[in-house]
Amino acid sequence: MHTSEHSEKPEKFIIPMGPQHPALKEPGHFEFTVAGEVVTDASVRLGYAHRGIEKATETRNWAQNLYLLERVCGICSHVHATAYSLGVEQLAGVEAPPRAQAIRTLVAELERIHSHLLWLGVAAHEAGFDTLFMYSWRDRETVMDILEELTGNRVNYSANVLGGVKVDVNDEHAGAIRRGLDFLETRTRHYLEVVTSDPLFVRRTRGIGVMTAGQATRLGVIGPTARASGVARDVRIEAPYAAYPDFPVASVLAEAGDLEARFVVRLQELFESFRVIRQILDNLPPGELEVKRMPRRIKPGEAISRVEAPRGELFYFIKSNGTDMPERVKIRAPTLCNMASVLTLTVGHHLADVPMILVGIDPCFSCNDRGVIVRHGDGDRGDGDHGDRGHEHWTWERLRQYGIDYYGGQER
Amino acid sequence: MNSVTELLATAEQLLSSWIQSQETPGPNRLDVVVAVYDLLPAVQVLQQSGWGYLAAITGLDLGPEAGQIEVLYHFCSGAAVVTLRVPIERDAAVVPSLCGAIPSAGVFERELMEMFGVTVDGAPNTDRLFLPDEWPEGVYPLRKDFEPNP
Repeated sequence: MHTSEHSEKPEKFIIPMGPQHPALKEPGHFEFTVAGEVVTDASVRLGYAHRGIEKATETRNWAQNLYLLERVCGICSHVHATAYSLGVEQLAGVEAPPRAQAIRTLVAELERIHSHLLWLGVAAHEAGFDTLFMYSWRDRETVMDILEELTGNRVNYSANVLGGVKVDVNDEHAGAIRRGLDFLETRTRHYLEVVTSDPLFVRRTRGIGVMTAGQATRLGVIGPTARASGVARDVRIEAPYAAYPDFPVASVLAEAGDLEARFVVRLQELFESFRVIRQILDNLPPGELEVKRMPRRIKPGEAISRVEAPRGELFYFIKSNGTDMPERVKIRAPTLCNMASVLTLTVGHHLADVPMILVGIDPCFSCNDRGVIVRHGDGDRGDGDHGDRGHEHWTWERLRQYGIDYYGGQER
Repeated sequence: MNSVTELLATAEQLLSSWIQSQETPGPNRLDVVVAVYDLLPAVQVLQQSGWGYLAAITGLDLGPEAGQIEVLYHFCSGAAVVTLRVPIERDAAVVPSLCGAIPSAGVFERELMEMFGVTVDGAPNTDRLFLPDEWPEGVYPLRKDFEPNP
């Protein structure tokens, strides 16, 4: 702790992190107050990727909005489209045919696999374990290829239409999916072993960022972050939608509540995804892909639609005024709920643990290199920038490296 | 595991002293109108009895002619969703902060403040969450009279 000569009160060191980087989907700006190595306070400022999508929905028709909303997120595009479609269908009083619901569920689980593997790589990278990063992203290509073959796209699959889906699954697809899943299942088993047994990696995760079930509930944490603390929150189980009533998933929980548990829960969830996808392929209901008629104007009303995105509950509130455009679409994405946990959990932890705690909620903004300014109260540690005494410029890369060095590790 | 009907019945009973009117928009939902001065006690009773969690806060501008904004507090428990609907004056839009009872409400309230121009009384953090620093004061983009492309 540095103290100023002129003041008896200890100065506060605030480390701002973020916000901007072109590679980010959701840039965020954090300010961590530190006392020596230990974080004592944290705050967040979001909105750097705010595109006014909620407002934009009010000037587009119901069908156009499907394509807009799919672009809310570049990782979980399908769940946004699914949440919206289910909500609009609820307002219109139509129900997509069983085959469409099964395909929606199938794509949602494929998306979860790609998202969790993407996260595994990013999280491994933040810990300096680049070998795991490279392998997991290589394997993730398997599911990306499946998605591309099935829908024609790697990211915005656009599988949904209002009242159904526009992609069908034939025997050829089913074969390719089964082969891909067999490979990924073997790999996932291996990764689960690595993240729970590699001594250097475990040092970065075991007992770090512990959140008790009570804390998780109080902080309103959702998704795998909550389930890793033993809180059974999963919309697929609590309020099954699409084809989940027919193809139920089992809850994957861990009690430890630390970063390691968040790895274990996400990886174990993949086995449930593999199982459910195979079950859907074995029992794909025959029939139509869309309803006969989806109205262009939707009768007035309000609907709430909740789905389980890879990061947790995605909440849509949709209000119709009887026209061909919505009156209001409210989207509450899971990261917003989990963000509060980062602010709470980093307090009391070492600065070196911040990257891993951040990445532990899977916030989608980790694979980046961002400008960080460290302000020193007495300016005695300017880092070569003598013209700007008292300010030190850090990058995310430097903070990441700091964490790796702190734990005496080497990049692997 | 409680059934949805039981969960909704419990919520209705817990909230009974504050409900001004109610609707059941779907089999898993209960939508109740609560006066702004009754919001805190109503939320506290849900919180203290462990009924669900605050899933989202939605602002709804009914437009300059109606002169009202509705603030919707959505609580979820299992498949059941209870919405506390709080109508407030559009020109004097103030709601109390829930942060005392539910700390995680903070981010939702910050969004409500900047997007709808609703003052959240007692909010620990009133900084902007999503809008840029240079966004003009007093312009609330999710109000109906906001013109995105003037």
